[in-house]
Amino acid sequence: MKKACIALMILLLMGTTIFAAGTKEEGAKKEVTLSVLWFNDANESDVFLKTMDDYLKANPHVKLDLQIIAYNEYDQKLKMMISGGNPPDLARITTNTLSVVVDSLEPIDNHVSDVEAVKKEYLPSMVAFATNKDGKFVAYPTEATANGMLVNKTAFDRAGIDVDEVSKTWTWSEWETIIKKVVAANPSMKYGLAVDFTPHRFSTLMYQWNGRFLNEDQSNIKFNNPGTIETLKWFKHIHDEDLVPKSVWLGSENPAELFQAGLVAGHIGGSWNINTYNKNVKDFEWKAVRMPQGRINSSVPGGKFVASFKGTKNQEEAFKLMAAFADKSHNERYSRDTFNIPSRNDAQVTYPSNSKDFEVFLEELKVTPAYTANEWKNTNLSKITTYIREQIVEVLLGNVTAEQAVANVDNRGASFFR
Amino acid sequence: MKQRTKGNFHQTAAPLLFLLPNIVIFGTFIIIPAVQGLRMSFTEWGVFTTPRFIGLDNFKELIADEVFWKTFANTLSYSFFTVSLIMIYALALALLLYKNTIKGEKAFRSLFYIPSLLSMITVGIAWRFILGDEMGIINYLIRASGGSGVRWLTDSKLAMVSIIGVSIWAQAGYYMVILIAGLQAIPLDLYEAAKIDGSSTPRTFISITLPLLKSTLLVVLVLATITSFKAYELIAVMTKGGPGYATKLIVQQVYQVAFLEDRMGYASAMSIVLMLIISLFTVVQFKVSGRDQDYE
Repeated sequence: MKKACIALMILLLMGTTIFAAGTKEEGAKKEVTLSVLWFNDANESDVFLKTMDDYLKANPHVKLDLQIIAYNEYDQKLKMMISGGNPPDLARITTNTLSVVVDSLEPIDNHVSDVEAVKKEYLPSMVAFATNKDGKFVAYPTEATANGMLVNKTAFDRAGIDVDEVSKTWTWSEWETIIKKVVAANPSMKYGLAVDFTPHRFSTLMYQWNGRFLNEDQSNIKFNNPGTIETLKWFKHIHDEDLVPKSVWLGSENPAELFQAGLVAGHIGGSWNINTYNKNVKDFEWKAVRMPQGRINSSVPGGKFVASFKGTKNQEEAFKLMAAFADKSHNERYSRDTFNIPSRNDAQVTYPSNSKDFEVFLEELKVTPAYTANEWKNTNLSKITTYIREQIVEVLLGNVTAEQAVANVDNRGASFFR
Repeated sequence: MKQRTKGNFHQTAAPLLFLLPNIVIFGTFIIIPAVQGLRMSFTEWGVFTTPRFIGLDNFKELIADEVFWKTFANTLSYSFFTVSLIMIYALALALLLYKNTIKGEKAFRSLFYIPSLLSMITVGIAWRFILGDEMGIINYLIRASGGSGVRWLTDSKLAMVSIIGVSIWAQAGYYMVILIAGLQAIPLDLYEAAKIDGSSTPRTFISITLPLLKSTLLVVLVLATITSFKAYELIAVMTKGGPGYATKLIVQQVYQVAFLEDRMGYASAMSIVLMLIISLFTVVQFKVSGRDQDYE
C-alpha cells in the first residue's frame, strides 16, 4: 500500500511538472534577439528605438541588439557579414547600399499575402529603388531623401537680396551674379556655395545640365556626353573663381561645417541637413530654396530602408518588426522626429519647425526626371563612383581636361558592365 | 641512453613546443591568408560571386593600370622620405635623451613617445583640425595675423609633405625608444678610451656609435619601411588620398578596388605585388646593411 502511494505521488508529480512546462511553452513566446545593423546621419538610432518602444513593450519576447556603425565603414561591414554567412537580422540601408546587396535581401513578397497592396503605400520612387531585377519588393522604405540647396538667408538680406523671390526662377548664371554680391556684402563670408564631396551631389548639378552617367538602356556607362562635359567645365569654373571652397573637393573638408560657420552662403546637400542645421545653426537665419536651373531643374531622389537578408534565423520576427516600423503611425513619428521626408503616400507629418523647407525639397523631387533614380539604382554604377569622384578632382586640379576625364571614366567603367 | 633521449627532447621537441602557439597564430593569421590571397590573385572574384580562374589576367591588367602606377610612385616617394626622416629625427632624439644627464629627460622621452601610442585615426583627425584649409587652427592663426592661409591639404605637393610630416611626428617616438636601448647597450669604456685618445665628438659618433648601433638601425629601418608601405588610416582620414591622386598609396587603391569596386581578385594581385616589393626592400636592406655587420 505504501509503495502504491509513493508510485501514485511520483506519477502525479511528473504529470503536474509536464503540464506546467507545457503551459509555460504555450503562454510565453520564445525570446528572440534581433541583430540590427544601423548607421546615423543625425539621431536616427535613438528615434528608431523610441519609435519602436510601443512595439517592443507589446512584444516583450523581442529584444534588439543594435550595432551602430560609422557610415564610412558601413557598406564594407555589411558586405563582410553577408559574404561570411552571418548577416544581421535586419539593417538600415541607403539606396547606394541597396544596389550593392540587393541580391542578398529576403523579398517581402515571401512574408506578406498581398505585396502589391504594400507597395502602393509608398512613394513610387522608393518602390522603384526597393524592387529587384525579378520584380520582388526587397526593402521597406523608411524615409525619402532629396538633394537641395540650403542658404544663409541673413547673408542674402544683408546684400539687399530677397532670396525667396530670386530663387523662384533663377539660373546658374544669374546665381553667379547674385552670389558675388552676397559674398561682397558679408565680410566674414568667403564663398558662395559648398557642394558635398560625393558623386551623388555632383550628379545633382550634372542632371541639371542634362548630363548622365549611363546610356539610355543603362547597359553601359556613358559619362562621355555633352551635358556631363559642360557640368565638369562649369564646376571647374566656379572653383577657379573661388565661388566654392577648394577645401571640400580637394581636401575633403566638411561643407556642413563651413555652412554652419557662416563661411559659405549656400550648401547643396541632402534633406537630412535640415535636421542638422535646425539643431546647430543659431547665429543666422537659414532656409531651403529652389536650386538654380542649368538646362532643366532636377534633384536626385534617394532614401533609406530597412531590410532583412536571406538565411537569417529570426526572419519571421524581423519582418514583423519592419512592417510595424514602416506602418503609417510609426513612419509619421519617425519622419517627424528625425526631420525626414516620409516614405509613405498617406503620411501626414507636421514638423515642429522647418515645414516649408521640406516643401522645397519635395518640389525639387517633383521636377526630377525618373532616369535619375534608375541610374542610381544600377549596381554597376556604384562600383565606379569613387573613380568618377577622383576624375572630377583631376579636372578641378587641371591635371586632365573634362573631355579626358569622361573618356577615362568610360574606359574604366566599361569593364563593370561586361 | 636515457640521458641522450632527454637531451634530444630538450634540443629538438621542447623548443618546437614553446614555438607552437606562435606558429599556430602566425600560420592561421599570416600564412594561410597570404596563400589564400595568392590563390585569389589568379581569379575574377566579387564578394557575392564565385571565384573564376583567369590565370595571369589580373597581373597583365596591372601592368597597364595607370592609377596603380601612380599610387606605386606615391608609395615609393612617401616611404623614402618618411623612413629617411624618421631615422634621422629618431636618432637625433635618441642621442639627446639616452644619457640620463639632462633634467627632465624622462618627461621628454614620454612626450615624444606618446604620439606613437595613439591610433592613426585619432592622429589624423587631430591634424585635420590643425591643418584644415578653412577650419584649421594654423590657418586661423595665420589669417588672424594678416596672412592668407596655406593649402596644407589641398595643394598636390604640400599635401604629401603634410602627410609625411604628421607620419614622422606620430612614429618617431617609437623608434627613438628602440634606438635609446641600442645606444645604452654600447659599452661606456669605448667612449672613455676615445676621449683619452683625443677623439672629437663627430669622430666618436662615426667610429664608435654608428658601427655599434648598426644592427639597431637596421631593425628600425626595416620596421619603418614595412610600416610606411602599409600606411592607410592616416591618409584615409586626412586627405582620402587626394587631392586627386596626390597622396594615394597602393594600400588605399587596394581597398578601393576590393571593397568599392568589388574586384577581390584584382585587389589580391595588387597586394601580392605590394608584398613582393616589401620583401624585396627588406632583403636588400638586410643584404646591404649586413655586409660588414657586427652583431656583438
